[in-house]
Amino acid sequence: MMRADETLFGGIVVALFVFVALFAPLLAPYDPHALVGKPVESPSAAHPLGTNDLGQDILSELIFGARISLIVALAASALTVALGLLIGGIAGYAGGWVDIVLMRSVDVLLTLPRLPLLILLAALLGAGLPQTIAIIALLFWPHTARVMRAQTQSLRQRGYVRMAQQFGGSTAYVLTRHIVPALAPLIAFEWVMAASRAVALEAGLAFLGIGDATAKSWGLMMRFALNFRGLLMGERWLWWLMPPALALTLLMLALTFIGVGLEKRWQPRLTRHV
Amino acid sequence: MRTPAIAFALTLWAVLTLNFFLPRLLPGDPLHALFDRDTANYVADDALRARLAAYYGLDRPLGAQYVEYLLETVRGNLGWSIWLNRPVSQLILEHLPWTLLLTLSALALASLIGIGLGAEAGWRRGSRLDRVLVTLSIIATNAPVYVVGMFLLILFAARLDWFPLSGGRTPFARYDSPFAAAQDIAWHWILPATTLVLHLVGAKFLIVRNTMVSILGEDFMLMARAKGLREIRLKRAHALRNALLPFVAQLGAQMGMAITGTIFIETTFDYPGMGRLIFDAVAARDYPVIQGVFVVVALVVLTANLVADWINARLDPRVEVK
Repeated sequence: MMRADETLFGGIVVALFVFVALFAPLLAPYDPHALVGKPVESPSAAHPLGTNDLGQDILSELIFGARISLIVALAASALTVALGLLIGGIAGYAGGWVDIVLMRSVDVLLTLPRLPLLILLAALLGAGLPQTIAIIALLFWPHTARVMRAQTQSLRQRGYVRMAQQFGGSTAYVLTRHIVPALAPLIAFEWVMAASRAVALEAGLAFLGIGDATAKSWGLMMRFALNFRGLLMGERWLWWLMPPALALTLLMLALTFIGVGLEKRWQPRLTRHV
Repeated sequence: MRTPAIAFALTLWAVLTLNFFLPRLLPGDPLHALFDRDTANYVADDALRARLAAYYGLDRPLGAQYVEYLLETVRGNLGWSIWLNRPVSQLILEHLPWTLLLTLSALALASLIGIGLGAEAGWRRGSRLDRVLVTLSIIATNAPVYVVGMFLLILFAARLDWFPLSGGRTPFARYDSPFAAAQDIAWHWILPATTLVLHLVGAKFLIVRNTMVSILGEDFMLMARAKGLREIRLKRAHALRNALLPFVAQLGAQMGMAITGTIFIETTFDYPGMGRLIFDAVAARDYPVIQGVFVVVALVVLTANLVADWINARLDPRVEVK
């Protein structure tokens, strides 16, 4: 059962989320910021998931929340992989002292406790979606750089790459024609894993109260729900807290499963690091 | 190659330097509101402004401020909390034991479970048990830890009422004996610890399981089998013993993951540790506390790395001790 179906399952779920995010204005019954009902209404035909403490429609919040998670996932993971590929690729391809200097710096960055640093940066930089994206990328590229560097270094010594070099292929030619295409499966894997981490961190920051307080993300929905006194006394948590929590978990797991499937397809022998 | 001690010192220095320069790289300074003509708090008197800057040491060159900061930090002075008006180091000393209790106990439990299940799944690779455990561990590791925590909280504390909803111990409780106190603390510890174990156990399981799988194909395993050793001895003394090396090497990195998880878990369960402290500090924009927590957490993670390196060197004679 655990075959390439993982990628398919993950792909379908992610595609579904992308669809919801793209057509959010058409799918959502209300504007997520509009006060369209009484506070904390129970689910009804007009509000399938009830309303929050301000009287905003929870289903609409949930639908628009997909946009924030996906924007952060896409932007932060693209930045992470681009930085990691650039630094790791340079270190691995150049070798020598360039490699030593870059990788020692990466090692230092890797040992820093990331979440406290993330919180400190977010608190200092102020909360906004661009800042959140930049901070997540800044903290996660060292890991990607390590992986990219190891693979580039091994590729550099392969026969066909050395052949291309000795036939007079320029560095740019060898990199674009041989190294980057050979790195593609690894890039794809790192990308989805970075996306999954970015989704978790964005929601986590919002949950801790350091995200963008105006962007209606799933993390922020959970935070407001949990701040509501008596949330856990009745049934309210079922339609207020659970939907964003489940959406978030489902999106993260779908991305992870794409990654796991890709890794298996690419290296069938290894079912290692997940 | 660099030695662990040098790496420790270098990273600690990087942490302190980041901590010092980050706030100063950004626009504005602590006295911005008093020094900017456009704000209501502007201090019009030139002499008073100069005295204020001198009082806070902000008129001195950046280099001197930096050296003073490093010296003070090494002496254990982490600054003053703006919000609570108390020394940051004192606040951290109150909260750190809770975090260490949660993190270390969960790490130990997750290690035991991860090793046990990982050895079994790796030994029976490809079996139904193996596949189920691998899938479960991927889910447990990658599900957001605060969602898992919330779920346990709702189910076992709010619905079933088996465990307390929040806190590290019962508020205003007076204990008759140390035993009663320990019992109360353990009671509050179970749910947050379970969440953290669930978060950590997957990665540990996968490391042991995957090393186990690759070791089973080694020549020395074939040799041991050819000698006619019993299954249990093959599994424990030959395979598992070697499978533990990468596991120990990963212990340091796991500490970072545990701390991250703990910060979210403490927020979810209102547990009075470092995560709770940083959460409250963020809400109050209490920068000295956030910075102090960052330094101390870095110190804890770095120390864990150092210890893991040392253990690894003792276990594996191929790793040189320097």
